[in-house]
Amino acid sequence: MHEQFVLKKDHLLPLLRRLAREHRLVAPVRNGYGDTMYTVVTDVDACRLDLERQPQNSLKPFFFPQRERLCSYTVDRQGEEGMAYRFYPDLPEERATVYFGVRSCDMFGVMYCDLVFLQGEHRDIFYQRRREKALFLTLACNRPFTDCFCHNTRTGPALELGFDLQLHDLGDRFYVETGKPGGVSLTAHWSPFFAPAGDDDRQAQFQNVLEARSLFQRQVHVDLAVRLLARHEPEEVFGRLSRRCQDCGGCAFICPTCTCFNIVDQPLDQGRGERLRTWDACTFAGFTRMAGDHNPVDLAAARIKKRFLHKLKHDVAKHGRPSCVGCGRCVGMCFGGVDMASFVALLCEWDGGKEGWR
Amino acid sequence: MTNSINELDHAQVILVSGSNTTEAHPQVARRIHDSVDRGARLIVVDPRRTDMARLAHIHLQLRPGTDIPLINGMMRVILDEGLIDDLFIEMRTENFFAMRDHLLRVEVEEVAALTGVREGLIRQAARLYAQAQRSVICYCLGVTQHVCGTANVQAYANLAMLTGHVEQEFTGVDPLRGQNNVQGACDMGALPNVYPGYQPVTDAAVRAKFEQAWGTKLPERPGMTLIDMTHGPTVWSERPEAAPEPVRAMYIMGENPMLSDPGIQHVEATLRDLDFLVVSDLFLTETARLADVVFPAASFAEKTGTVTNSERRVQLMHQAIAPVGDAWPDDRIICELAGRLGYAMRYGSPAEIMEEICLLTPLYGGMYHDRLRSSWGLQWPCPDRAHPGTPYLHKYSFTRGRGRFEPSGHVEPADPLNEEYPFLLITGRAYHHYHTGTMSRRCAALTREHDRPWIEIHPEDAARLGVRRGDLLQVRSRRGSCTFFARPTGRVARGQLYCDFHFHEAPVNALTVSCSDPVARCPEFKLCAVNAVPVEQREETGEVM
Amino acid sequence: MRQVMSVCCYCGCGCGLYLLVEDERVVGVAPSRNHPVSRNNLCVKGWHVHEFVHHPDRLSKPLVRRGGELRPASWDEALDRAAEGLAQVKERYGPDAIGVLSSAKCTNEENFLLQKFTRAVLGTNNIDHCARL
Repeated sequence: MHEQFVLKKDHLLPLLRRLAREHRLVAPVRNGYGDTMYTVVTDVDACRLDLERQPQNSLKPFFFPQRERLCSYTVDRQGEEGMAYRFYPDLPEERATVYFGVRSCDMFGVMYCDLVFLQGEHRDIFYQRRREKALFLTLACNRPFTDCFCHNTRTGPALELGFDLQLHDLGDRFYVETGKPGGVSLTAHWSPFFAPAGDDDRQAQFQNVLEARSLFQRQVHVDLAVRLLARHEPEEVFGRLSRRCQDCGGCAFICPTCTCFNIVDQPLDQGRGERLRTWDACTFAGFTRMAGDHNPVDLAAARIKKRFLHKLKHDVAKHGRPSCVGCGRCVGMCFGGVDMASFVALLCEWDGGKEGWR
Repeated sequence: MTNSINELDHAQVILVSGSNTTEAHPQVARRIHDSVDRGARLIVVDPRRTDMARLAHIHLQLRPGTDIPLINGMMRVILDEGLIDDLFIEMRTENFFAMRDHLLRVEVEEVAALTGVREGLIRQAARLYAQAQRSVICYCLGVTQHVCGTANVQAYANLAMLTGHVEQEFTGVDPLRGQNNVQGACDMGALPNVYPGYQPVTDAAVRAKFEQAWGTKLPERPGMTLIDMTHGPTVWSERPEAAPEPVRAMYIMGENPMLSDPGIQHVEATLRDLDFLVVSDLFLTETARLADVVFPAASFAEKTGTVTNSERRVQLMHQAIAPVGDAWPDDRIICELAGRLGYAMRYGSPAEIMEEICLLTPLYGGMYHDRLRSSWGLQWPCPDRAHPGTPYLHKYSFTRGRGRFEPSGHVEPADPLNEEYPFLLITGRAYHHYHTGTMSRRCAALTREHDRPWIEIHPEDAARLGVRRGDLLQVRSRRGSCTFFARPTGRVARGQLYCDFHFHEAPVNALTVSCSDPVARCPEFKLCAVNAVPVEQREETGEVM
Repeated sequence: MRQVMSVCCYCGCGCGLYLLVEDERVVGVAPSRNHPVSRNNLCVKGWHVHEFVHHPDRLSKPLVRRGGELRPASWDEALDRAAEGLAQVKERYGPDAIGVLSSAKCTNEENFLLQKFTRAVLGTNNIDHCARL
């Protein structure tokens, strides 16, 4: 049962300061260079909280870091049955963390990662450790940012599930909805900060969400693209996009739902080593290259195709929805235009020309 | 660069020469792509069919080492068709008549024959470049790493001056610098002939200023260049009487000449013969292995300091972590060494070192760390604290006053092709690696993407030699030999080979010539004559014979 | 996790980037949206710029050649030995018998100090770096 409260803006910092005492606090902070990022806040009063702009990173690195040590190992070369390896897992600390000011798309990103890392037959203990004691205080968007299109992916601008608390900015106050149990107990524990919401608050929140939906400039016809891809996989579209791919992997690294990784063993000396996990990207040629140099997905066009089909076709088959959350980060990242918005536009243009270019 | 990288966004014509921009300078390539999307025209001068060349409207696929005749040909067309900028030439340049007389002796048909570029293309490129309002030239090591490197650069400067494409935003002649602080190392006077800010060591007044600041007598004679040091007298074999005394001891900070310098046999001999060698580096490089003392240095993540990029932007890097292990930042090492040699160097922080730089270097006069903190840096010249920095150079005058036309003709490459050495080898950098690979080859992802020394060969040549992708190819020059993995591709022209120099397993600088440009002492890496022989592999065992 | 502004240590573009630091280890990289050169983007090298920092091959102790082999030594020993070696050559052959190579991968401050060291302490102008390579 969702409850609704009102939190006065004057009371936000005092609340965060108190939360930061018992939790690690992560919030969008604008730094001295004018960049806004989800950042670990060590001093609530010294940092500049920025709820006006889209954080340029997603939450992915907090749960699934770009590089992490999974375990260390030793090699006994004189073992009875030849070489004997011993592994010593290196589990991350469980840190109770409050993620504040999380945008809807980023919350969806976390929910998707949960599917990948926690729902299968084998849970990923490293991810789970970081994820376990996390509380999400999300913030609905009152207006879209330049590149985002969450109305097309149905991942925003406000959420219906996934959050512990969802905040809506009503000017002088936040309208607060409780979601998961963590949010319910948070409002109960800090009840002096949360006043019950009235009908006018509910009305204002409803208006806000409606208005936000109407403000999107960018239309990215993700649903149409999903339907088209079910019928065709137009090589021309992938070919044209791939010509501008710079092979940087940035689209995958910045994406809240790209979860590919590589695992490498790094010897430290003759008898010891560590096993590292690092982000990987399906657009890298080495991603599919096999021993003996054969690469089943050798051409750039084929690799680009793999990436987009994963998002808009394979994940639809597997999870019932595309795994693009419409955050638009790849749009701002890729200067070659090899991003979701350009891809969908190109695909629709191709189809509009009756399965060929118009 | 005389301009800022962002200015490329607004150029109408971009001439890129000797630069594999997409791989070596991705952010510059990005601006070029953006400009082309907005309607700019792109001319690429490159013997290889690089990604930039594919994007180009005109690709002048010249025979390597023929930049000067090509540019002379273009200038002749510009002169003939009355496309020169008379006013600019009159107001801002000198020696134009000598240039004109020289050009009048250039025949475009002959240029076409010499360069291998069709005459029509030369004419088209000349018109395109000259007629636009805002034309910019970007060049890289493909222009400079020749025996005639300085004359090559001068040729491009002549072209820009002839058409007046210099003094404004979105025009100019922009060398793209290859390493993150190569500009800064030059600016800081890590050169044998100048103090910081290009103040000549031979200028008595300048020397007096530094002597006063540093409280000691300073040497008057310019020093030796890197090639002179690492090759000893060998580079002077033709004029042994002019050869400087060889060095007996060296201190090498964060360089790996054992892989990066031409003719590494000479480098190795020189370093092995030294009485004493000190190296400071992150890793035990090929060079460090030869040292008597090796200092473990801190990496960029472990220290605070400034670096200067290609567009002269001085930016502050912040220390992220404490030095790994027992490593020290190089400034601390230098100060400690100076102290032991009886000269006190005491600085509280890198910011204090910068204060001394500001004091002594007019170009950097206002580059205080507090100004660079929380900003995107400042572009030099920045003479004082109030100065906002300089996005583009030569606004009202050149450094030397008037720009001087220097006519020049074709210079034959140092290492001629013949029947025994029929292939022309070009070297360069690859996208996934950097310089001698000490850093990038220790990254699993980059190594996976590019894990071995490839050599590019034209498919027809490959077919003739009977090599397929992945086959071993032994490449031999007059100086040495290396083995590479063949990669047949249309990116290189017939009769040419291309490889990178990131792999110690195939140290390509065992092949290259140590001849260098007489002025800039830039070695001729871009050209050497080689032959290529497939390495026979026994079918049954796969063993290399 | 801290985000520390730095500059990519590879090519001359000079992309600004954030190093992500957790428990005193650099664990990742993030581009900067507002940086005038990189403008939210990095190339593949920039995205992996942190990888070599904690590589086990990093030199962690000074090395001094003893009995023909490089062996670990204390900083004092290594610095003394270096100072002594340079001083001896200077004394025997003069300052111009020493050559110094500075680095395009080091900071301006370090380059400044090294050329000052070469000129004011060693007494020679024999300093250069790999600008031509």
